Amino acid sequence: MHLFLEQFVNGWALGSLYALFGIGFGLVFSTLGILNAAHGTYASWAAIVGYYAVVWLNVPFPVAIAVGVLAGGVLAIVVDQIGFQPLRAKKAGLLGALITSIAFWIILDSLAGFATQQQSLAFPASTYPNRMVAVGPVMVPQMQIITILALIICAVGIYLLIQKTRIGAAMRAVGWNEVAAGLGGVNARVVILLTAFLAGATSGLAGVLGGIATSNVSFTLGEGLLLKGFAAVVVGGFDDVRGTAIAGICLGIIEVFVGQYVSTAMRDGVTYALLLLFLILRPRGLFGSTSFLRA
Amino acid sequence: MTLLNMLAHCVRPAGLAAVIAGVAFSAAPSRAEGLAPGEYQIGFVTENTGPLAAAGVSYYHGAQLAIDEINQSAWIGKGDTLKMVEKESGSDAARAVQAVSQFIADRNVIATSCCILSPVAGAVRPVAVNAKIPLVIYGATRPGLPQLPYVTSVVGLPGPQEVKMTKTIIEKLHPKTVAYFVNADNEAFQGRFKAAQKVMEDAGVKTAGVISILGSDTDFTAPATQAMGTNPDLIMVWTTQTPAGGIIAALRNRGYKGPISANDVIAPPPMFKKIGEPLVGVPFPVLFSAELSDTPEAKAFIEAYQKRFSALPDAYAAQGYTMVYYVAQGLKSLDGKPTRESLAEAMAKITEIDHNVYGGLPMKDGQAEFAKSLIGAWSKEGKVVRWDPK
Repeated sequence: MHLFLEQFVNGWALGSLYALFGIGFGLVFSTLGILNAAHGTYASWAAIVGYYAVVWLNVPFPVAIAVGVLAGGVLAIVVDQIGFQPLRAKKAGLLGALITSIAFWIILDSLAGFATQQQSLAFPASTYPNRMVAVGPVMVPQMQIITILALIICAVGIYLLIQKTRIGAAMRAVGWNEVAAGLGGVNARVVILLTAFLAGATSGLAGVLGGIATSNVSFTLGEGLLLKGFAAVVVGGFDDVRGTAIAGICLGIIEVFVGQYVSTAMRDGVTYALLLLFLILRPRGLFGSTSFLRA
Repeated sequence: MTLLNMLAHCVRPAGLAAVIAGVAFSAAPSRAEGLAPGEYQIGFVTENTGPLAAAGVSYYHGAQLAIDEINQSAWIGKGDTLKMVEKESGSDAARAVQAVSQFIADRNVIATSCCILSPVAGAVRPVAVNAKIPLVIYGATRPGLPQLPYVTSVVGLPGPQEVKMTKTIIEKLHPKTVAYFVNADNEAFQGRFKAAQKVMEDAGVKTAGVISILGSDTDFTAPATQAMGTNPDLIMVWTTQTPAGGIIAALRNRGYKGPISANDVIAPPPMFKKIGEPLVGVPFPVLFSAELSDTPEAKAFIEAYQKRFSALPDAYAAQGYTMVYYVAQGLKSLDGKPTRESLAEAMAKITEIDHNVYGGLPMKDGQAEFAKSLIGAWSKEGKVVRWDPK
């Protein structure tokens, strides 16, 4: 039972990273209509910037997180304005944006490789909370608690932002029809920039937390999150943050439990087979609206 | 004291490598004709980008250093120089095959060298054999890759050093149960794990559990919990570099205080810089270590490498370095204008690589055989020291 509980918390924390990453991925798709393959690089770069902020500038842990999140957000805006805005103006559609995002993925990945000198780096252990905390009978690393809390705060915050505020209404309106939203008085450009920033920032948060928790700050960090984050979005439903959060957590827990109780070698295969089965039974995901465009 | 040992004490280390090489050259029996003067090119398929770039850069630097030394000391003959031409594969099989194909098309390239990953080496091998060009494998560890006379390997095969370390661990730590971490997607590490497991089981040490991970995995908290759940007396880590560091860090961060052993992937200095304290005292078998290897050739290599790259060489750098000297020795043994075929034949006949940093390096059927291995461990100060199991 003790092992079961420990693995449950491990899965929850791992799934929280997938969910955090997936939230940004889903935001971009539902609001901007872009299936952004470069999204993983925001996580990689956020972790890299956070790492160098700690190593070069000796900033404390919360500042490193903030710097990484900011870097992820700014990078997302830059990519959007350089790569996607011209396509948006020409109404190039989903495929053109996908190809563009793949190009950015490769470019940003290569640059991240140079920035880390192709090494896998790690935040020095003394620069982040790395003790174990007793939660009932289970010992939990502090970073896992921080990751779980970060997802809860982000998921609730972004859900309230989208569902309960005027900005959120504008984001939903742009996601539905950019032209109609503009005619209704929404400044679509500002909404797009805000969405891109939010998406990059949440991905960046996942990157910094993941980079610290796994002792792996490298250009491969984002790639690891990309597929799992995408799965969380698809299962959760593209246009609902709640679904992504729950699906991400479930994905992490299933992955860990399959590794523990079924087969570590078959872990990903069994996990994705279960996801496939779920989607056959419920194609629109946990909370996705029936009318939403599906990839 | 031998002549080489005397030289090691009397000559400034920076120039020692060149002197040793020069002595070896002058001591060699004179040939009637010798190698025709000219520039001989080695096509080197680099892996300086991609998932194994950290190791790839070391192989490359080692090879660069050997080229410079050989040219400065006229090791293969007066008027003869070596040149390395590089093409990057990023550890991708298709790109590696393409790179070797381009080298084959370039008639100035007389030999090629490739590959850290065994599947990549396996893909490149038939291309080299069909084109009848020498291919020296510098990193891939799957047994059976050499195919004489064209394909040879300067890589230590899994087996002897793992067996030696495992026997030592049994002798010193007396474990009753062992949990193993192993790459599910890497044949070479599967081989290392099986070699160690066999030694353990033959000695009556039971397998508490085998935890498979993938080379692309980054989160090891759950696998660490799984291993700790088996209550082993010892945890052995037979995985590639990034997972090995992550697993050991996760085990220690989760409070595992028992003994851990690993493999040579944790030997490079950047690994200690990255993981730090959790690596202290974890034994690993290593064929070359900048801190432990003490032959005159090794000392000269370490000194020259440090001078040129401002870093200590690791085992990968030593392999890149060895690869170039192996090709050079083949060239040196030839008279007149060599062809790819004649070079391949000459290299296939080599039974001992003369200039090496291991204190002796026999070649058998085109495969390097490492008789001597060390058991190292990181100290708290960040130095590799001989493992002390206290």
